[in-house]
Amino acid sequence: MSSIKEKFNQISPSEFFYSNRDLAGFSNPTRSLYTAVREFVENALDACDQKGILPDVHLTIKAVDPDKPDPKPYILTVKDNGPGVDAKHIPLAFGTVLYGSKFGLKQARGMFGLGATMAILYGQITTNKPVIVKSSTDAKIQNQFEILLDIQKNKPVIQKHTTKEISKKGLSVSICLEGDYSKAGNKIRDYVYETSLITPYATITFDDPKGQKFHHPRFVKEIPPPPTIIRPHPHGIDVERIRRMIVESQFEIPTIDDLMIEKVRKDLGLSKQNLSFTAIMTKAKKKWKNLSRQVRVVIALLSFLKMDFEKLSKIRIEDLDVPNKKLHYWDFGDSQSKTVDMDPESQYYKQLTNTVQGEPLTTFLTKRFQRVGPTTAVKFAEFAKFKPEKRMGTLTNQELVNLSDSLQKFDDFMAPDSSCLAPLGEEPLEKGIKKFFNPDFTAVVQRPASAYSGFPFIVEMGIAYGGDIKSGGPHVYRYANRIPLLYDEGSDVVLKVVNDTDWGRYKVKGDPPFIIVSHICSTRIPYKTAGKENVADRQEIERELRLALQFLSRKLAAFMSKKGQAEMAKKRANLYAKYIPMIAEFCTELAGKKKEPNYKKILEGLEPVEVKTEKTVKEEKPIESK
Amino acid sequence: MKASEKKAKEISKKAKEKQKTILESLKSHGAKIYEDLENGQFPKFSIPSRSVGNIVYDKKLRQYILGNSTALRSAKNSAQLRSFTQLMWLAFFANRLTQEKKSSTLRDVYYSSQAFAIEFDDQSESDNIIVDLEAVTSRPREDFHIFPEERSSIFGDLNIEYTIPGYEGKKMNLSNHPDGYSIGPSLTTAELVDTSAEIVIAIEKGGLFTRFVEEQVDKKFKSIIINTGGQAPRSTRTLLKRLHDEMGLPVIILTDGDVYGEHIAMVIKSGSANAAHLRELTVPDAKWVGVWATDIEKYKLPTIPMTESDIKRCYDLQKDPRYESGIWKKELQVFLRLKRKAELEAFAKYGLTNITDKYLPQKLELAKSL
Repeated sequence: MSSIKEKFNQISPSEFFYSNRDLAGFSNPTRSLYTAVREFVENALDACDQKGILPDVHLTIKAVDPDKPDPKPYILTVKDNGPGVDAKHIPLAFGTVLYGSKFGLKQARGMFGLGATMAILYGQITTNKPVIVKSSTDAKIQNQFEILLDIQKNKPVIQKHTTKEISKKGLSVSICLEGDYSKAGNKIRDYVYETSLITPYATITFDDPKGQKFHHPRFVKEIPPPPTIIRPHPHGIDVERIRRMIVESQFEIPTIDDLMIEKVRKDLGLSKQNLSFTAIMTKAKKKWKNLSRQVRVVIALLSFLKMDFEKLSKIRIEDLDVPNKKLHYWDFGDSQSKTVDMDPESQYYKQLTNTVQGEPLTTFLTKRFQRVGPTTAVKFAEFAKFKPEKRMGTLTNQELVNLSDSLQKFDDFMAPDSSCLAPLGEEPLEKGIKKFFNPDFTAVVQRPASAYSGFPFIVEMGIAYGGDIKSGGPHVYRYANRIPLLYDEGSDVVLKVVNDTDWGRYKVKGDPPFIIVSHICSTRIPYKTAGKENVADRQEIERELRLALQFLSRKLAAFMSKKGQAEMAKKRANLYAKYIPMIAEFCTELAGKKKEPNYKKILEGLEPVEVKTEKTVKEEKPIESK
Repeated sequence: MKASEKKAKEISKKAKEKQKTILESLKSHGAKIYEDLENGQFPKFSIPSRSVGNIVYDKKLRQYILGNSTALRSAKNSAQLRSFTQLMWLAFFANRLTQEKKSSTLRDVYYSSQAFAIEFDDQSESDNIIVDLEAVTSRPREDFHIFPEERSSIFGDLNIEYTIPGYEGKKMNLSNHPDGYSIGPSLTTAELVDTSAEIVIAIEKGGLFTRFVEEQVDKKFKSIIINTGGQAPRSTRTLLKRLHDEMGLPVIILTDGDVYGEHIAMVIKSGSANAAHLRELTVPDAKWVGVWATDIEKYKLPTIPMTESDIKRCYDLQKDPRYESGIWKKELQVFLRLKRKAELEAFAKYGLTNITDKYLPQKLELAKSL
């Protein structure tokens, strides 16, 4: 995190975002109100997801002065039942830009919690009111803060801090901001509605400024498995990222002070014994497997110094000259610098070189990246023209660039691990669609994981026809990482794929009542703009979308033709029911008979075939979390 | 009892027997359908195919007839269900007409259908169903008391006796009214009692018909004059046939001097392909006496050029086996050579009565040798 900060050190991040707030979706009162709602709701859902809590999210928007015309100040409050935020983190989390907990590589609705602080910033700019944060992490004590943001210094200014007793965990964030609900209302209601479709395990309540309540209870009680944080894929990496990984993989030579010596003694089980050098080494060999890296490094140094703990406490390591196999130290007792030779054949020498020069390339690859095994690592080294045992710490800048390029180009890495993704799953998606649209036909599909530029992604899609769906379809509901995308529909890749489809081929004609729900999950959604509203047409994503849609369209076509046949049969049966009695009537007089023939036998053999609908979803009672 | 009376009685008996067979035919068809329904089966019947491929010329009968191929109509076929029902209704309606001796017209049938919730998109659909009934029963629609709208007319010394309800036994002489008598159901079904005429002159046009009456052609040439009003309706052809068969009168035909006129004569003589499913509508001995193509040259008649469709019609008729010999073939060739045509009225060039004074006697004389 610190290195991200460094990039903006010239001006404060707050200032940067203050002057570029359009980028984050705060361009006007309408859009800003909508974006603020989104950011807080998504933060709440993310927080619950990460802890496996069934979310209860309560959104309230209230006009400060209801009689004023729009745009005007509104108080926006989002309350959740999530884990809450530790009191000590609250000022920084809500009072600085670029502070947050979402830094791992996994699927989440938002990144870095940036959007929420942007909303707070926007609120402060437009109304000069503090953000009010109430949080409880233990369901006992609730911390309440009123915080203003010092834009120039990017620092929180705590105006008020109180605590009180409470019985529920969770976080509530309230801001005052300039908004235009009369214009943004539709989008916000759509957003809440569509979010509840893709988050069927959440209960979302919205109290709008006009006194209307929109309640969307959860109808799925199982939360989808949370995504795991994973190592990066070689394809999704750059030079800067490698550099940081190398730093993480190298270890400083530990300072050997009294504290460290105490730790080593304890780990070796020698706290109370003063053993000779040889005895210490014997003991260390026995316990080697259970020793921590730091302790091992101390033991390795000790092996060349040939000292006991008493002596060790009286020296300071000056330099470890690995290439020349020399170890320099300062002896406090003699007050002079001394040097010992290191035997390169010794196992302790290897331990020290690892520490100083970093891991060999192959180890680095297999340990630091996902889906790279020893064989692939060796193959890659050959491909990139590096020695497999090349120490990562010894790479020059040019070599780093070459390594980064080669990682991008090497095709034999396995596809990215998708365990960091959290698709909704076919069953909850289907349930949601059925509940929301009560359709005659539903089909859902989850494509296998795929990847673009080293970022894994999964496409989920659902299609539904008839029932409560209004005509004029296909109506497309776009989602990315469980966020509904409502703006900039026209330039979205999903729309492109849908519009490219010749629906006539799938027997869908006229003004059809049907919907398409598309969900793209990825560790990085390739949004076209910072507003996060439309997905760029990456070839790999487009292909997956197309395959998903084709699969579903074929199912729809089968339904449509079955429906067509059934309708035809019904029509035919109606024809018989209409004409056969007439024929009977006429032929009776013609044949000179009094009684009509018993034609019912024919009609009974032709019971009209009902269209088989798939309305099998049982209405589930809303499940409230306890 | 006079011979003619005896004959008339026989005819009357025959007519009643005919009506009986018609009713029996309808009843048997109805019974068949009834039985199917009663047995829980979809009713069906076969109908002679009226497709072009099944219309053949019978040289012995000297008319077009339908071949042996038949089509199955089934109520099970939902595409045929509607027309099946329409036909059933028509048979039912025709049955009532025949039984109650009531008459109807093509148009009347079309409108009557509505009273029974039978849907016809237009009259041509109901006309087509009427042809179906003719084909199934091999009877002309007139036998079911269904007549065309247009009426042709008749004038001359012919005594008839009506058979239609309310007029039974009432007699009429057809020379009492100078405008002529329209040939409708009552006349077609009347008994032909006696006549002093020795020939029937069928003429294509109403204008000439009136002229012929004025000029007393009926008296001068001892003839019965019939206006066919263009292509002769079925009822008129039936009457012509009866005058020929029952009264032993020869029939001659006068038409315009064009290819359509020639074909009007041919249809009276040997029927049309459209009515290939029907017999007994032809007068094979009828003679076409003019206006021939050769007459145009012979009498130097004023002409107008033939239209493209006239010429096309000539070529079409050349393919008809009936036009393969005799004057039919010869005149057609001359028309094609001249590429001009003349109306009956063309004789007016030589005076209004020229056609009755000069042309007709010559043609009557000629007819004896045809």
